[in-house]
Amino acid sequence: MTSADARYRIGIDVGGTFTDFVFAEVDTGELSFHKQPSVPNDPSVAVERGIAYFLDSRNLLPEQVELICHGTTIGLNAIIQRRGARTALVVSKGNRDILEIARLRMPSSYDFTEPRETPLIPRNLVHELDARMTSRGEILAEPTEADIEALADKLQASGVEAVAINFLNAYSDSSLEVRVGDAFRARLPGVLIVESGVIWPEAREYERCLLVALNAFIRPMMTKYFDRLTERVSGLGIACPIYITANNGGTLSLDTAKSRPIDTILSGPASGVVASTRVARAAETCRVVTFDMGGTSADISLSHTGEPDFTASTFVGDFPIMMPVVNILAIGAGGGSVIWVDAQGVLKVGPLSAGADPGPACYGRGGTDATVTDCYVVLGIIDPTTFLDGRMTLDKSAARGALEFIAEQLGFEGPDRAAIAAEAALRVATAKMGTEIVKLLAHAGADMRDYSLLGYGGAGATHSCMLADEAQLSSVLVPMAPGTFCALGAILSDVRRDYVRTARQTFGGSAGSAGWDAIGASLAEMENEARQWISEEGELVGAHRFEVTFRLRYPSQAYELEIRIPEARRASMTAEDAADLFHAEHEKLYGFAERDSKLVTSTLRLAVIGSVGSGDLPDIAAGRAAPQTTRLVRWRGVDVEARVLRRSDLGRGASFEGPAIIEQPDTTTFVLPGWRAVADRIGTLRLTRIPQYEA
Amino acid sequence: MKLDPILQEIFLHKFTAITEEMAITLQRSARTTYVKEAGDFGTALATPDGHFFCYPAVMGVSGFLDSDIGPTVARVPDLAPGDVIITNHPYESEGLATHMPDLHLIRPIFHEGRIIAHAWDFIHSADIGGAVPSSISPRFRDLFEEGLQIPPMKIVRAGESNEDFLRIYRANCRTPDVNLGDIKAMLAALRVADRRILELVDLYGVETFLEAQQALVDYAAEKALAVQRTIPDGTYAFWDFLDDDYNSPIPVRVRCELTVSDGHVHLDFAGSDPQVAAAYNIPTAGKRHPWLTLKMMHFIFSNDCSIPLNHGVFRHMTVNAPRGSILNPEPPAAVGIRSATAIRVNEALMGAIAAARPELIPAPSGGIMIPLVLVEQDETSGERTVLVLQSLVGGTGARHGADGVDGRDSSLANQRNTPIEKTEEEAEAVIVEYALRTDSGGPGRWRGGTGVIFSVRIAKPGSAILGRGMERFVFPPWGMNGGQPGKKARVVVNPGTENEVDLGKIDIYHPKVGDIVTILTPGGGGHGDPLTRNLSAVEDDVRLGYVSIEAAERDYGVIICSQTFDVDRDATDALRARLRAERGNRGGTGFSFGPERSAWESVFGDDAMTELNALLMKLGTSVRSDRRAQLFYRVVPKLASRKGTPLDTLIDDPAATRLRLEEELADLRKQIDEKGEEALT
Repeated sequence: MTSADARYRIGIDVGGTFTDFVFAEVDTGELSFHKQPSVPNDPSVAVERGIAYFLDSRNLLPEQVELICHGTTIGLNAIIQRRGARTALVVSKGNRDILEIARLRMPSSYDFTEPRETPLIPRNLVHELDARMTSRGEILAEPTEADIEALADKLQASGVEAVAINFLNAYSDSSLEVRVGDAFRARLPGVLIVESGVIWPEAREYERCLLVALNAFIRPMMTKYFDRLTERVSGLGIACPIYITANNGGTLSLDTAKSRPIDTILSGPASGVVASTRVARAAETCRVVTFDMGGTSADISLSHTGEPDFTASTFVGDFPIMMPVVNILAIGAGGGSVIWVDAQGVLKVGPLSAGADPGPACYGRGGTDATVTDCYVVLGIIDPTTFLDGRMTLDKSAARGALEFIAEQLGFEGPDRAAIAAEAALRVATAKMGTEIVKLLAHAGADMRDYSLLGYGGAGATHSCMLADEAQLSSVLVPMAPGTFCALGAILSDVRRDYVRTARQTFGGSAGSAGWDAIGASLAEMENEARQWISEEGELVGAHRFEVTFRLRYPSQAYELEIRIPEARRASMTAEDAADLFHAEHEKLYGFAERDSKLVTSTLRLAVIGSVGSGDLPDIAAGRAAPQTTRLVRWRGVDVEARVLRRSDLGRGASFEGPAIIEQPDTTTFVLPGWRAVADRIGTLRLTRIPQYEA
Repeated sequence: MKLDPILQEIFLHKFTAITEEMAITLQRSARTTYVKEAGDFGTALATPDGHFFCYPAVMGVSGFLDSDIGPTVARVPDLAPGDVIITNHPYESEGLATHMPDLHLIRPIFHEGRIIAHAWDFIHSADIGGAVPSSISPRFRDLFEEGLQIPPMKIVRAGESNEDFLRIYRANCRTPDVNLGDIKAMLAALRVADRRILELVDLYGVETFLEAQQALVDYAAEKALAVQRTIPDGTYAFWDFLDDDYNSPIPVRVRCELTVSDGHVHLDFAGSDPQVAAAYNIPTAGKRHPWLTLKMMHFIFSNDCSIPLNHGVFRHMTVNAPRGSILNPEPPAAVGIRSATAIRVNEALMGAIAAARPELIPAPSGGIMIPLVLVEQDETSGERTVLVLQSLVGGTGARHGADGVDGRDSSLANQRNTPIEKTEEEAEAVIVEYALRTDSGGPGRWRGGTGVIFSVRIAKPGSAILGRGMERFVFPPWGMNGGQPGKKARVVVNPGTENEVDLGKIDIYHPKVGDIVTILTPGGGGHGDPLTRNLSAVEDDVRLGYVSIEAAERDYGVIICSQTFDVDRDATDALRARLRAERGNRGGTGFSFGPERSAWESVFGDDAMTELNALLMKLGTSVRSDRRAQLFYRVVPKLASRKGTPLDTLIDDPAATRLRLEEELADLRKQIDEKGEEALT
């Protein structure tokens, strides 16, 4: 049924256990999904196999693939496990301990056994140079040629593969860093040199230093990986462009990703949020809590506007990242979270995880700990014979055995003690995750009743209804293919890159508009740079647009607000208009505004977003009247008869009441008693409480 | 009835979520930097009788878990739904408020006419009046200098603001609008608690809600007791010193006697110095109090991080803090800088635990927290900018099995530092160094964390440098179990030049343009005999620059080649053997305090001080402090004008000094006996 001139885009997300694929037919929007076992020591092998499988199974020619969008966690893992290049750091005189002292704060205020982070670069590979700027961009100290040469010799002798340069105040002007960097490049052939002001020119020396050091640390291995990937893809005869997903929910050309791998380290989960916002918009639901629950962890994020929520203060392992990234919060529990009983007889879930290997007891890979997944199996929510489309048979008796052990420690008796323990454990796990959602909404000052939970990942759909019920969210959305959702996000993303300037300017009130003109100059400079970049990001990139945000504050106060300038008003924005936007936002958040006060800016950011024409999500066909089966599911202490449906049988408008189980190759959805499910135009299931059941 | 343990765990998460949602609400809508950036605020839920049954794990100030809001609530009669209580009064609140900038709010939560819980929050407000902006100075002698005193009263009556109170409040603080912004945020947080708790009660019933409070507290008590049982039974005494009390140069002693019996812990602070005529007193009402038990709490949570944060943790602890002492002052003694004394209380308790078993506890950290402030002045307009250059702390102490952390100290406020680049955006001065202080960590089998060195080059005429909280200039962070002390704090101008001046402690200093002012913070204490430190650890320390080659030889007996940084094993073995022989049998064990404390205690030993303090307590509060100063000045005449002279130089003839002390003690005994007779007749 596929024609020879059909064109395809492929989205790929590499996970620890599976590499997920989404194949989109460009004209019809038709989607197909595939899960390929991952090959941890060379993830590109699974990529090659998965693409080959698709081409073979559809009998397609390599030329029919027009785009590959790829997300990877190689960089992230390298950072967390400290397996990067041997990297040296060159800093200003007096600043040698920037990575040792960091931001001073320790991870725990209570626990004196909690260690600090291991510095990314050991102290003997950190070198001082009498080189630094002032905050106004003047050179305050300049090294001599002899100083630079002597340091180059030292670097050579220490056998480093990469050198990161971070001079104080280099955000204000990076030319001194670049001059020193060029001198190193000339003297140290084959050694990678990266300057902080080039990677991310924002004030705050520790955070900027980490960005440049991390970029240097992971770049050699990422470049190797991307080269291998390109080789394998061309080995299949495919010559299309490859894009890499980014932390900001966008994608980057392979060349950009190679030189700025730091922009890609958090891309996997970000793609999932991008896909969520698209599914939510199609369901005409702007306010969602996304809920990605996999084997080892669960992530949540908020979207208020149909766009992902961004943050410029997140962490990768121990390290703060001050670039804008999709705002995602890890909340611990995953399907592999271990259930245990403490010395006082209290039931606990996590934080330990059985992970994918040995995994839950029911995986039959030698794991003996009861996990959240074992609870699903024992309670009848997951059918052990149809898990992952029957490609993996689960061992229900092992799950029961593990939970009976828990039950005995809790003093539960009787033949269904494993089920009692399983229900108890799910209640605890759900309460724990529910509190995280409550807190996330509180941070945003939002009301839970206005939000829907969008569940994906292997277990997101399974747990969503329980979690939404617990956290008092209004409804649940379950997308078509929750198990390969991040891969879907990859092909729905536009090309996107963020630029930053630090500009301490004053405007508004008695300061007038002088500072505003300087800001305008900085913005114009960023816009030129961004326009130049996007024009070289590949032929696929169509029209582009910009997004401008400012961080600013009242001089009398220490905290800043981030203001986004509406694109339509950007060109004509005056100092007064910008001040009004700030005052209004301040009024909204804190209940007052000082309208006569001056304003001080700190950070200006500009994002350039280039469309790659990712189409709409396709409509689904009408449903098939398929035979329904039923099975017993344990719920609140009794066995209830749940209807069991196949997701592929559900068409547009299909509607049914819980208790119900919807099975599909990549996940199982559980609809609680008292809830109703309806399939929308693109196949998303919306679960809502049936009014007469509401408390 | 015992609560179902599944429900108990679920309630733990739900209660914690409420306290954290309160904290988020408070911090989001508060106005001051204290709250927004430094996180100097707290939220919690209390039982009907006023003890916290839930406290957030990650937000706000961690140290107030053992607070008792009961006396505050008891002082406000006729509580009704919608009421909110306010207080900042250290004495009327019986130590809930520990200094007056801290505003405490309490909202009783009613269900069908009875109080089922209280919601509490506090903030450190920007200003509460008094003799200086921001209301805190070490030199203050009483509460009247420290600002507006607010005894427990209603700030909200049945949902309506108490406008009379607010008018007095506005008139008595320097930044009323900002403060009221913070109070609004506090009230919003309390409303969140009220709403969420009533939702829980709706869902689970009020009896289950009350049982859950009790079950979680019992659970914490049981877990904490298991940790406390790791301290061997016995009585252990330890004491530590503040360098001085600012208004006088006399060292201030804090003494803690720890008695453990099958995990039950009694902390007796008798023998601590009398309250001082400065702002270092800690108002505890003589009861178990967060700042007396803080280190026990750290000890317990370091050993079992799964214990829920509630007052059950302290169930098996009792304290004695004699009235009139620095740890239980009588009103109206000033309390503004009680935190400096609290650090010494922590360290005295750590020493007592260490005396029981050195494996249980780290050596002390640098033990200081200096918000270093720069004032710059515009030459023409005279307009001044005041900014905190950096929050300076030392390193943490070593513990059995681990070195201390270099240049950081989580045991105090655990704040973040200020980026140099943010400072230099505001100031003309240049930060020329912010680095670890080589060789400052106390030598030991496990090395104390190094302090830091922080240098600023002054750019404008008329600049001033201020440093509050300067401590550990006289008595260094001690070493334990054979470990050595960390290096003391110092302030130096133009170090390494011919204009170098050692300033000692500064309160305010006026440098010239071009001067470099350098602060050196103390290293943490060492743990274990340095001559047993692993050779590769010493080698790594030298290679990475935490320890110099010279110090490796002097302190660790390790010879390291200056070219290759490799250990010379033969030379090291020989040197270590020689050093062991030289120091004799008693080396390499016990505590190590440094020469100044040894000199001081050769005169003012534990027996003498315990007796002296007991005698002084018999004098009236108003004369006690002058009489005490008089005694010390007579015993050590040069003390009054010491100006940074080391105590071991000052006390040049210990025997003669001891004799003078004997005479003075006899004199004091006589004075008190006579008074006693007078009282009898």
